[in-house]
Amino acid sequence: MKKTLLMFMFLLSACATNPNGTKMKVSDEETKLEVYNRAMFNFNYQFDKMVLKPVAKGYKVITTQSIRNRVTNFFNNLEEPAYAINNLLQGQLKDSGTSVVRFAVNSTLGLLGTFDVAEGWGINKKKNSFDATMAMYCTPDGPYIVMPILGPSTPRYLVGWGVDALSDPMYWALWDKQDEDWGVALSYGATALKYINKRAENMALLDSMEEGSVDYYATIKTAFMQNRQKFQSLCAKQNAEGQVAASYDFDFEDEED
Amino acid sequence: MKKLIGFIFTVTLLFAIKVEAMDALKAENFVKKVTTDGIEQIINSDVSMAEKDARFTKLFNEYLDLDYIGKFVLGRYWKTATDKQKKDFIQVYREFNTKTWSKRFDEFKGKSFEFNGTSPSSSEGQIFVNTSVKMNEGSPAKVLWRVKDGQPLKIVDIVIENVSLAITARNEYTAYIKKAPGGLDDLIEDLREKAK
Repeated sequence: MKKTLLMFMFLLSACATNPNGTKMKVSDEETKLEVYNRAMFNFNYQFDKMVLKPVAKGYKVITTQSIRNRVTNFFNNLEEPAYAINNLLQGQLKDSGTSVVRFAVNSTLGLLGTFDVAEGWGINKKKNSFDATMAMYCTPDGPYIVMPILGPSTPRYLVGWGVDALSDPMYWALWDKQDEDWGVALSYGATALKYINKRAENMALLDSMEEGSVDYYATIKTAFMQNRQKFQSLCAKQNAEGQVAASYDFDFEDEED
Repeated sequence: MKKLIGFIFTVTLLFAIKVEAMDALKAENFVKKVTTDGIEQIINSDVSMAEKDARFTKLFNEYLDLDYIGKFVLGRYWKTATDKQKKDFIQVYREFNTKTWSKRFDEFKGKSFEFNGTSPSSSEGQIFVNTSVKMNEGSPAKVLWRVKDGQPLKIVDIVIENVSLAITARNEYTAYIKKAPGGLDDLIEDLREKAK
């Protein structure tokens, strides 16, 4: 624990300046969390620049789009049990059944999920998450927090992510193999592959987002938080009180930011 | 008497619905014109990137109300800005947007926009036109066009996968101005640099 704390302090002190080397002008309104977030964002940005992005670029060179699609499908298929559980928790029985069928079909006929056979039959993915389940029960989202390596998150997002990870079949398959070297290697290897593949597939999008922004941190933060607004309409209590306006609907005359 | 009131009420309601439907159709046709005759034609044509940029500039100036969006994205800093700053900002914001969007839309090459009706906005005289673009992988990308009524109609926001262009720019620019030593002037300079 102490070690982790020390590492955090080091990271914070190392990142107190922005990439241009100039000290940030911290106004009163800027909370401590924002300072931490920007520092962690800078750390992640450097990690991405030095490690993840170059590796993902290399991965893109040695793989074809078809191979990457197989990898994407494989990891997506492992999320189907989480979809099934959360669809059930949200009372979407039909969708839950769909997720079970999709997992069964794709894991077998779809060669361990690498091919989405079910979609070809018109059985489309019913994506869901514990994050959405909590949102449906009106659990507050909490503030924006940048996690080391993982990146943008909020407390509810993190809890949802952790709970959904428990229904990952790979986690259970390797559950009692943690003492074996190959078990550990496979577990870390798969996680690495998942994120490298994801980074490679988002290369163009992230590049264009960075190119089109003057404050990359602010852009990522607002894009992440706006995307989460869609969960707001799930909260039944709020819906009962009155119509929730679409998250992207706002008043152009509003002068506050 | 009761019947008559009921009848008048129903007719009024029907008429109101009809007017609304007409506006929705008008907005949808307008966006169809922008996407099909404009964006799709530009990105699929076999011309240089410079020519594409030029065509996008023309398209954007014609159909996008960048004065209106520009004023919104500066938030409360619009009020304190000098006339020169306002003018400079709008101009550079226009150039910068044309450049980034012509590049971003290039990713939609070979794909077409599908129209999925409209949805209301809380702002008077504005409506969302819902479209989606089928991507190579995964579910289709959801693209919404916020249209403002008037002569002529104008697009005032583009929402891709729940992320609004206007809100993103406002959050980014106000954060930037708050942080930068030179405030708005720094932002204008930075955008001008990026638009080159």
